[in-house]
Amino acid sequence: MWKSTLIILAVFAAVLFGLIVWDVFKSKRTKTRYRVRSSVTSYLMMLPAVILAFFFIMLPILYSLGYAFTDYYLLKPDDIGFIGFDNFKEIWQELTAKGTIYHAIINTLVFVVGVVPLQIGLALGLALFCNRKRRGVKIFKVCFFAPVVISLSVTSYLWLQILSPAKTGLLNSLLSIFGAEPHDWLGDPHTAMPCIIILSAWQGAGYQMLIFLAGLSNVREDLYEAASLDGAGAWKKFTNVTWPGLRSSFVFVTITVFIGACRIMTQPMLMTGYQLHTVTLSYYMYTRGYSDRWVGLSSAVALMMTVVIGAITLIQRRLLREKA
Amino acid sequence: MKKKLRNLLAAALSAVIVCGALAACGGNDESDKGEVDEGGNTIVKIMFHVDSKSAEGVAYKKRVDAFNKAYAEQKIKAAPIFKARSTGASNYETELTNNKTEGTLADIITFDAPNCAAYANSGILYDISNIVPQETQSDFISLNKYNNKLYGLPIQESSAGFYYNKKIFRDAGVDVSAYTVENPWTFEQFEAACEKIKNYCTVAAVDMRIDATKDETAPYLLYPFIYAGGGNFADEIGLNAKGYFDSAATKKGFDFIKGLLDKGYTSKAIGATDFFTGKVGMYLSSGWTIPDIEHKYTEVFKSRDDWGLLPYPQDVAKASATGSWCFGITDNHHPDKSASKELLMWMTTTESAKEITDATGMIPARKSVETDYAKGSPEDVLLSQLKTTGRARPATIAYPTFSTQFNMVIGGIKTGSDLQSLLNTAATELQTEMNKFKK
Amino acid sequence: MDKLRKSHLAVTITWYVCGVILALMFLFPIIYMLATSTKSEASVAASAGSMSMFLPDFKNFGTMFDNYKKVFTDYDIWKYALNSFLYAAVVIVLNVIVNGLAGYVMAKMRFPGKRMFSAIIIFLIVVPVETSIIPLYSVVKIMLGLKKTMSVLGVVLPAAISVFNIFLFMQFFEGIPNEYEEAAKLDGCSKVGVFFKIILPLSKPIVATVAVFCFIGVWNDYLWPAMILPSTGENEWPLLPIQAALITIQSIEGITTGEIMASLVVTSIPIFIVYVVAQKYIVQGFGSAGLKM
Repeated sequence: MWKSTLIILAVFAAVLFGLIVWDVFKSKRTKTRYRVRSSVTSYLMMLPAVILAFFFIMLPILYSLGYAFTDYYLLKPDDIGFIGFDNFKEIWQELTAKGTIYHAIINTLVFVVGVVPLQIGLALGLALFCNRKRRGVKIFKVCFFAPVVISLSVTSYLWLQILSPAKTGLLNSLLSIFGAEPHDWLGDPHTAMPCIIILSAWQGAGYQMLIFLAGLSNVREDLYEAASLDGAGAWKKFTNVTWPGLRSSFVFVTITVFIGACRIMTQPMLMTGYQLHTVTLSYYMYTRGYSDRWVGLSSAVALMMTVVIGAITLIQRRLLREKA
Repeated sequence: MKKKLRNLLAAALSAVIVCGALAACGGNDESDKGEVDEGGNTIVKIMFHVDSKSAEGVAYKKRVDAFNKAYAEQKIKAAPIFKARSTGASNYETELTNNKTEGTLADIITFDAPNCAAYANSGILYDISNIVPQETQSDFISLNKYNNKLYGLPIQESSAGFYYNKKIFRDAGVDVSAYTVENPWTFEQFEAACEKIKNYCTVAAVDMRIDATKDETAPYLLYPFIYAGGGNFADEIGLNAKGYFDSAATKKGFDFIKGLLDKGYTSKAIGATDFFTGKVGMYLSSGWTIPDIEHKYTEVFKSRDDWGLLPYPQDVAKASATGSWCFGITDNHHPDKSASKELLMWMTTTESAKEITDATGMIPARKSVETDYAKGSPEDVLLSQLKTTGRARPATIAYPTFSTQFNMVIGGIKTGSDLQSLLNTAATELQTEMNKFKK
Repeated sequence: MDKLRKSHLAVTITWYVCGVILALMFLFPIIYMLATSTKSEASVAASAGSMSMFLPDFKNFGTMFDNYKKVFTDYDIWKYALNSFLYAAVVIVLNVIVNGLAGYVMAKMRFPGKRMFSAIIIFLIVVPVETSIIPLYSVVKIMLGLKKTMSVLGVVLPAAISVFNIFLFMQFFEGIPNEYEEAAKLDGCSKVGVFFKIILPLSKPIVATVAVFCFIGVWNDYLWPAMILPSTGENEWPLLPIQAALITIQSIEGITTGEIMASLVVTSIPIFIVYVVAQKYIVQGFGSAGLKM
């Protein structure tokens, strides 16, 4: 392992060095001046982070991306063979045959499209709700944040009780007051994903609420007063004063929630298990890699996910920034 | 201040170097039999999948200590490694495979029965057909074989059956005393009993555990029905599923499960504790449930007069669930397995089997272990099932895919999909996976 | 005027009512946890699926805290909790120094290759890490050879680096005016000196934010520690942190749901204390970081 690592290290160092030299050359043209002393200090100060990041983040990621082109089977780690694009061909075949991965992609798309607006909306709502100086607002903030830190095993058990298909399930017994028949919320392909979307948004919104609150704290009070004097209504105030102040928080929240949503795995795993109507890409990747032991194949899925998520993130940054 | 930074960097670098150095040196001498310590003892490493503080772990430790005492003169020493397998994470397996890469695979490991084929196929397990004497082999209730070679000896045995609420059965006037393991009830008799007790249960007649499709629970509890219906999942070598998983005989077993759901005998909306609170008449579960009933749910089940255990029903064949963790010798860098053999044999003696099952409450793996189970008691039902009707889950390298596909079929039955097309999909997916191993 | 005050009062009351309803919607797992932790297995089963699952078992008042007693006496959870505190402390200190230094350099200094470093940072935030846990295990165990007691480093070191925290620090430091540093420079302070003496003391909000999330992360992590830490003998001090130990405890035969919930309640308390204390700083930290992606 050290040998391949040294090669990676050498390539990494060469690329770093090359780009640094390129920057230096470019600086002559653009007349940016770099000071040698200060540059060296910079590198030294970054060194601990670079070393740790290299070993514990870059190296594992590079290895796992490299595995995408191998037939790595978990139980045969000493017999890894290079197989080119065979894993990708296999994925393509499964996709065109509408196998599990086809459902995984569809479900992930549905989840992302559903959860991103819902979670951001919920977080924004909570933030606006908490953004006032009243007694007890701190307690509310702690309450809204609670699901973020509570153990997933507790929350998932509870949601299972709520969404239980039994007549005595909490949601079913609530709806039966209005005369509704009991429904298998997580078993029905039409309602399972919406349920998972709602519980995910519920669970994560507290974190984004904090970021929105931070954004709101930067909006100056006097702007509201000025708007009031101009006779602006609540909506006008929101669009003209609050929203511009929230712009950068919004971009940040959108991108992070999007990335997180693309990686959804734990919720379907705990709520329904591996079933066609809820399996997601990450869950598929995990099952193929760990249970079925095809590390190579699962890395190929990871590689494709990285490329797609990366591309969409870049586009999002462009789009959202331009408007700002 | 610069000095501080330099020190920091030096510390970080030296930490990395020291760690590398520590990995390089250290450790004992090696012989063909195993590592050798300063005293000239051959060390046999044995890895367990449980925590050292659990009841099971303590029992293993005791047996290992007794071994070390008995074999002090022969200079063999057992070194136990406890690597608790935490839920969900396949950390035990990751440890195994990384040990394999490093060449530090323990001499003996414990492994779960369905993994036998995959571990044997990838060279983790060593063929012990000739190491374990024939008469010892025939004393085991089950053996872990792959391609007709022996790879594992069970530590203990487990089976499953239908726990039933005697009061509900009495009220409904259902007499089940005739249904023994030797002469189990039929699919029809099972349904007839459900029909009668249905009205005495507030939730459902029987909990078939079709909600337990998130892990190995549903496959483990439900696969015997398919064997009982005359079906199968794959061929002997576990590389062909087409023509087995999707056959008409296999469909029969699944149809029975589906029928119970369609006729309202079971339901997908049974709470985990509904049987224990008297809302369900029967509960399909493994032997693990015995201590739960006896210690946790004494309100409904005050004594054994209130509950009992019924065997799996039969159709064209008899079948019941088996399978537990086993001991196996590894195919590691120590070619001489004589020392490992001594420890393996020691850990599987009747005495060890008894001591371990006394701690875990499960069934001893060897037939010669004296048991004092009363005739017809739950433990007796489980034991006689194991001895007469027990059939293992399919021995295939692609077992994990079998398990997920089985769960998907059950999931499909719950949503009311067409059973034959579910089986076709499952057979195709499993076959695709198996084909990958044919190369 | 009276009318206005009345409508004001109405708004306030509506706000509180809404708040309480919302809070209950977000709090019910905790209410359930607290309620269940006071119950025996039989009463947990009896209350399942009805509203009484959210109410404690007042009928058996005498035995309400039995689960807690058992958790503390039988399962030694305080030892694991202490481990978690130690791991968290080391991780927080390393995190602030390592990522803070890097974030400072990225925010305030000019050097060739900077654009590439920020590209790498964004890339590493985007990549899914789920599959890299197997290679990470190999790096820690095989390459660096962190075994036995040294495995502790395998818990602490990977947690010490966080690209996201570098990003947070970077954003925060960009908002600190350059004048502070220039003044310090005139006093003959080195760059590292500036960081520790000037920048860090000015950055309490972001340090608190990073510290809190480090603490939550270390405290809640169980998969990775359970994977790499060896289990220890009867008389040795255990190495596992609290959540990893809880997973093991939960799989012990014969443990009841009430006991599991009691242990979860006990282990959630530190997180809440830390969060409540640092809440003000977190909002400030995110606020001044600006968070421009």
